[in-house]
Amino acid sequence: MGAKAGVGALGVVLLAVLIFVAVSSWSRQPAVARPSVQPIDFPHVVHVQTYKIDCQYCHSDARRSEYAGLPSVERCMGCHKITGAQLPEIKKLAEYFARKEPIPWVRVNKLPEFTYFPHKAHVRASVKCQTCHGEVEKMTTFAAAPGPRLANDLLNLAGFRPAPPPLTMGWCVDCHREQNAREDKKAPLDCVACHH
Amino acid sequence: MNRRDFFKIVGATGAAAATAGCQGAGEHILPLVVPNEQLVPGVASWFATVCRECPAGCGVLARNRDGRVVKLEGNPDHPVNAGALCIRGQAALQGLYHPDRFAGPLVRAGGGLTPATWENAQKLVVERLAALRGAGKGRAVALVTQLEQGSLGVLADRWTQALGARPHVTLEPFAYEAIRAASRITFGRDAIPYYALEEAQVVVSFGADFVETWLSTVGYTRAFARMHAFRDGRAGTFIHVEPRQSLTASNADEWVRNAPGTEGMVALAVLRLMLEEGLGDRRFADAVARVDVKQVAERSGVAEATLRHLARAFGHARPGLAIGGGVAVSGTNATETQVAINLLNAAAGNVGRTVRFGPDSAYGRVTPYAEVAQLVQAMQRGEIEVLLLGQGVNPVHALPAGLGFAEAARRVGLVVSLATQPDETTALAHVILPDTHWLEAWGDYAPREGVTGLLQPTMSPVRDARPLGDVLLAVGRAVLGSEEGKGPLPWASFEQYLKAAWEPVVRGQWAAALRQGGVWRDVAPAAVQATAGPLAAGAAALEGDAGGFALLAYPSLRFYDGRGASRAWLQEAPDTMTQAVWDAWVEVPAEAAARLGVATGDVVRVSSPHGALELPAYVSATLHPQAVAIPLGHRYAPYHVPRYVAAAPTAMSPAALLGPATDAASGGAAWLGVRVTLARTGARRPLAILQATHDQDHRELAQHVDLRAAREQALRGRAGRHETISMYADQVYPGYHWGLAIDVDACVGCQACVVACQAENNVAVTGKASAAYGRQLHWIRIERWAEGPAAHPTNTFLPMLCQHCEVAPCEPVCPVFAAYRTEEGLNGQVYNRCVGTRYCGNNCPYHVRRFNWFQYEFPAPLEVQLNPDVTVRQLGIMEKCTMCIQRIIAGKDHARDAKRTVRDGDILTACQQTCPTRAITFGNLTDDTSAVTGLRHSPRAYTVLEELGTRPGVTYLKKVVREHA
Repeated sequence: MGAKAGVGALGVVLLAVLIFVAVSSWSRQPAVARPSVQPIDFPHVVHVQTYKIDCQYCHSDARRSEYAGLPSVERCMGCHKITGAQLPEIKKLAEYFARKEPIPWVRVNKLPEFTYFPHKAHVRASVKCQTCHGEVEKMTTFAAAPGPRLANDLLNLAGFRPAPPPLTMGWCVDCHREQNAREDKKAPLDCVACHH
Repeated sequence: MNRRDFFKIVGATGAAAATAGCQGAGEHILPLVVPNEQLVPGVASWFATVCRECPAGCGVLARNRDGRVVKLEGNPDHPVNAGALCIRGQAALQGLYHPDRFAGPLVRAGGGLTPATWENAQKLVVERLAALRGAGKGRAVALVTQLEQGSLGVLADRWTQALGARPHVTLEPFAYEAIRAASRITFGRDAIPYYALEEAQVVVSFGADFVETWLSTVGYTRAFARMHAFRDGRAGTFIHVEPRQSLTASNADEWVRNAPGTEGMVALAVLRLMLEEGLGDRRFADAVARVDVKQVAERSGVAEATLRHLARAFGHARPGLAIGGGVAVSGTNATETQVAINLLNAAAGNVGRTVRFGPDSAYGRVTPYAEVAQLVQAMQRGEIEVLLLGQGVNPVHALPAGLGFAEAARRVGLVVSLATQPDETTALAHVILPDTHWLEAWGDYAPREGVTGLLQPTMSPVRDARPLGDVLLAVGRAVLGSEEGKGPLPWASFEQYLKAAWEPVVRGQWAAALRQGGVWRDVAPAAVQATAGPLAAGAAALEGDAGGFALLAYPSLRFYDGRGASRAWLQEAPDTMTQAVWDAWVEVPAEAAARLGVATGDVVRVSSPHGALELPAYVSATLHPQAVAIPLGHRYAPYHVPRYVAAAPTAMSPAALLGPATDAASGGAAWLGVRVTLARTGARRPLAILQATHDQDHRELAQHVDLRAAREQALRGRAGRHETISMYADQVYPGYHWGLAIDVDACVGCQACVVACQAENNVAVTGKASAAYGRQLHWIRIERWAEGPAAHPTNTFLPMLCQHCEVAPCEPVCPVFAAYRTEEGLNGQVYNRCVGTRYCGNNCPYHVRRFNWFQYEFPAPLEVQLNPDVTVRQLGIMEKCTMCIQRIIAGKDHARDAKRTVRDGDILTACQQTCPTRAITFGNLTDDTSAVTGLRHSPRAYTVLEELGTRPGVTYLKKVVREHA
């Protein structure tokens, strides 16, 4: 009886380890920024809604490159030398510029590793930024929470908030399939188009 | 445990794991403070510059991604290489990001070298120079650089003049001085001409190893392909005379094996027979009146019938071309040999047609070896107090040991090295002022008259390095006590000097010249008259045991004179003939090996009157029985040991065995100058040889066709192959169907594609032990297949890579669908899915899949070179050729920008792009007008192992063999 229990306990431990590894590898998805961590409290809503600035005015590499890019500090200062120069957050910006230092923005959106994702091809195909990044124009603090996280899942289950785009492969492939079915589009479905 | 406990545990562990997984550290993205308007992050920029890995001076385009150079390609506009690049050019990146590169200036203190600031290190040099100048001993200063045929060379001359130093010495171990001297004797012109291989019908080469290193490898290999490769029923003939079956000899339609050092008499006998047959200018009959053909046949071991056949083939050619080089034109009789070759050309009327003076080679400007020897003697006498050595100069390793450079250098008060990484010569230096790599530097270089390439920095320096030009200017001014803007060296920097020197040439069009990579114009051939007195044919005089073997010390395809040996890519690329990687070897003729009782891998002691080497033997059935051959240039860089090789042998290069002998007529170093004896040591050092057999065993992997049959088929135009019949439906290609065609007739086995692929696709280096196990990771390899008698085989080179089979054996055995067929005709390999069962590799009949047995590292800063568009594979992943999928994606992206489909020629794979002979063609097989479709339906087309029904996407074109003998 004792030996049998020992074997059972060992089995349980092994099983627990296995599940721990499986679940942790699943949930170790892109890191997600919390609202307070950005070095400057940048409100997308003001720039997009109030001043009607186009996304690509600042993220100007999106149509040219794999990366959407962040505006250079110089570009921010282009407007903010005058606009809102007395605001405390803008003063922080001016200090970075004076020190010739890049602003250490905290990354919010991150695709899983070993994935090739070109912004350029998506901009060319007229995919709206919001399709993947959520309703950025309404965000005071940019914190789209992509990736399957337990907290998100629970909130979604309870109906507290709309599901943010999860940026998972299944979600990408679904969209590509929909596009191909609807219009005369050729969204690639080859594995090696993104994984090479 | 009951069911309820089970769920409790499972639930608790799962929740814990989920919480743990959420605590990822914040990752920062940093914007630029002030952006560079011309650079878009993620989009590559290209910079045109000039390759300085050897004096050939090929044009290069450097691909800069986000501020760092990740790939080199040939500049398609450059007249020397027209887009192609050799194996050494491709590997230049590993010199740029070399882990051993000096981090900054070093000064010898006590026994070792210690870091110093630029100011302090330069001050040491300046003080010494100023003291010498003050004492009126300017002649005690010597400046030695590699061949700098451009503004830097001119500046170096100005510098030595301003300081009253000895004239600037350019040091190139292989300077073809015999060709210069022979030109002087025959044509009255001190120059190395341009040889128009591309226009010759018949080329007879006396040891000229143009596929490996001769003069301008890429340029002449390209020209050779244009002359020799089968096209529209036309194909030239190439005959090569050499005691060893070198790679160039393997590409000959006829390889004639002669006794070492007898090329000159063979050339004269051919000339005599040619004139006897009435096939040449009778004016030269007197010159060869004393040549006894029978005696030549006896001494050279070349049958009289062969000599006569050579004479007829050459004499009938309209036009022909005879060239000399390699070991043949570096013996003690080198000039005589080359004079004989010149007369062959003159008598056949080739001068001015295929032998062109005018576009003379830069090699003709190298400082004569005699002056180098004088410098060494002066050093020995203690007359030299400051010796400055530029980068690329490693005389301790690269010059014959008999010259005694190392000994002499120890008597120099201050040895200043401007090398970029440690070598045998920097070990003797007192001060090291690291130069910038040529990819980081300004400059210009004229490889031949009429062609001047421009160098520009393609990225900011990887290390704290300063260009030689800047150092010369700064040190020179400090010694002279002059200011910037005044005196004989007024320029603030070498960049400023260069631009000032170019202004009269480009007249404001500087940017355009930079973009093009330089300026070039056609140079009309100069008229020369050949004169000749009576010639006697002698063999090279060899020092040492009369019963010994002539030592053939030949420049290596991979390392040149040793400059390339510190690049791990080159060490791991196999020598095509032996297929050996990493280690050096001594090629021992089979008879001698049997006599000594040594097999391949047994260590043999090779002794000459000047030194001894212990090297593993490579038993060769083809080598002349009175010769042994050792490639020059083998050495390891510090970071290779013990990472890639177990222990570093003291010396591997045969320069250690050579004496001070020279060719008397030209003064050039005699690389063929000693006889050596062999002794078995009893030790073993197995070589890592990547190809187990060169026997096809009737598998018909590398196929060939007669020239006559090929012509007939070309006329009839019937396709050589047809799709194999299948019971299953054919695959449908809705868009593109990518395919490759490889012309086996054009492939010369130069291995440039292997390293180009390695650079493009982040292929890791495994090291000697792993490679010996067959664990090397190359996605493309060049197989050598030999046919015919063992002593005189015909070699065919077969580039082997993933065949992208339509019915791929790798795919159905993958348990996780990592290997799959794409809609565009590729065999995809999804690294994210791969779990490393290796079933696919085992089931691949072509053996082209590579497995990551270990986590291979890219020692810093080599990881900076990695192509950001390609995944770096890790331990346990299977990988293989992707047909450069990242380039296909980029090509489709460009086409979509232009709102069109991909056109033929839009996409070049890395292997195709660098190929000097254009043996590889990539394209869309659903496009009937594409080049690759045309080749797929060529009468010479076949697929490897067609009988297996794999339906490869790679088509091969049979080698065309000439019906001689």
